[in-house]
Amino acid sequence: MTSASGDRTWMDPRGCLFCRSSCPERDEGRIMFYKFNGFTQRLSGGAGPAAYCPQGLKPLVSTEPPTMIFDTPTKSVSELEGGGVHFLGRNKVPDFQQIFQKPDGLPVHLKRGVPDRLLYRTTMALTIGGVIYCLVALFLAAQPKKQN
Amino acid sequence: MAHQAHAYHMVDPSPWPLTGATAALLMTSGLAIWFHFHSLLLLYLGLTLLLLTMIQWWRDIIREGTFQGHHTPPVQKGLRYGMILFITSEVFFFLGFFWAFYHSSLAPTPELGGCWPPTGINPLDPFKVPLLNTAVLLASGVTVTWAHHSLMEGNRKEAIQALTLTIILGVYFTSLQAMEYYEAPFTIADGVYGATFYVATGFHGLHVIIGSTFLAVCLMRQIQYHFTSEHHFGFEAAAWYWHFVDVVWLFLYVSIYWWGS
Repeated sequence: MTSASGDRTWMDPRGCLFCRSSCPERDEGRIMFYKFNGFTQRLSGGAGPAAYCPQGLKPLVSTEPPTMIFDTPTKSVSELEGGGVHFLGRNKVPDFQQIFQKPDGLPVHLKRGVPDRLLYRTTMALTIGGVIYCLVALFLAAQPKKQN
Repeated sequence: MAHQAHAYHMVDPSPWPLTGATAALLMTSGLAIWFHFHSLLLLYLGLTLLLLTMIQWWRDIIREGTFQGHHTPPVQKGLRYGMILFITSEVFFFLGFFWAFYHSSLAPTPELGGCWPPTGINPLDPFKVPLLNTAVLLASGVTVTWAHHSLMEGNRKEAIQALTLTIILGVYFTSLQAMEYYEAPFTIADGVYGATFYVATGFHGLHVIIGSTFLAVCLMRQIQYHFTSEHHFGFEAAAWYWHFVDVVWLFLYVSIYWWGS
């Protein structure tokens, strides 16, 4: 006997929590989930799904790990003939995943080595140079104009 | 090797918030220096720094999500909230300009001739290019939805085609609008009509360009196999933004182009 959601987690073969003798709910194959109503201070029966989400909060995004499908569900031509036809290039994501998951302690913005370092240093040079130029320009702009 | 016992993303230290803040400083001071001393260098420096910051920051987010796997469901939930809040803030941004338009157009002052459009203003015919623009953006909303469904069904070729078509429509809108701007008989300096028209439609056009760029980045990512049929939030964010741009245009068209003529 399964509950409405189709799994057997709530079914205890030794009987339900409240009485081991037969009970109409168990005989009918339904398991009673009791919830406490804080307003009326009484127990009331609830449906199975409420037991799984007592606050009524359902996950916004599925918590199941997604099955990764990079291409069409059916086998693509490139899989049949080892590396034959690719539509607009081969999938290089696994290679990148290897590169970026190397445990070399580098932060993500420098992970690729030389090109990242070059871009970072250029950006930082512009940042520092820019701040200095800005402060000088503002200092000069703040000087009073010479009165003739 | 250390492993985290939670699903959240503790980001690596990053220099981009600092460079971005510096870009903001340089752009604002650069604007002031340009106004008073006619030098554009500081402004250009700020814009360059802004561009470098955006490229590297968003590049890092792609690396963290697609290559390092940090975008777990709770993290993705946070990203969704973030994008929704950002778009909401943009809605309020445009609301201000619509307020300005309705303030001036519902009760036109005697200086304008007591009428709307004001005396001397020849508004654009709403049933010519502006109507075409409306059709273009509505069609692009259809194509971006088509792209999303293709993506969810694992249909790589169609997703690329639909996304490309969406971007082409976006660029078509921008060029049509640019031609309208060039040919229009009134300028931004033509009183409150010109001001409200060009500021509202101008900021909208900027958002079309931003949205088209976002979609173009998604196209490059889709070609490079970054998106899976289950996980493609970058694309969803771009699609949300694009629909927002479309809706703003509909309000602009009905209020300023149609009712306002």
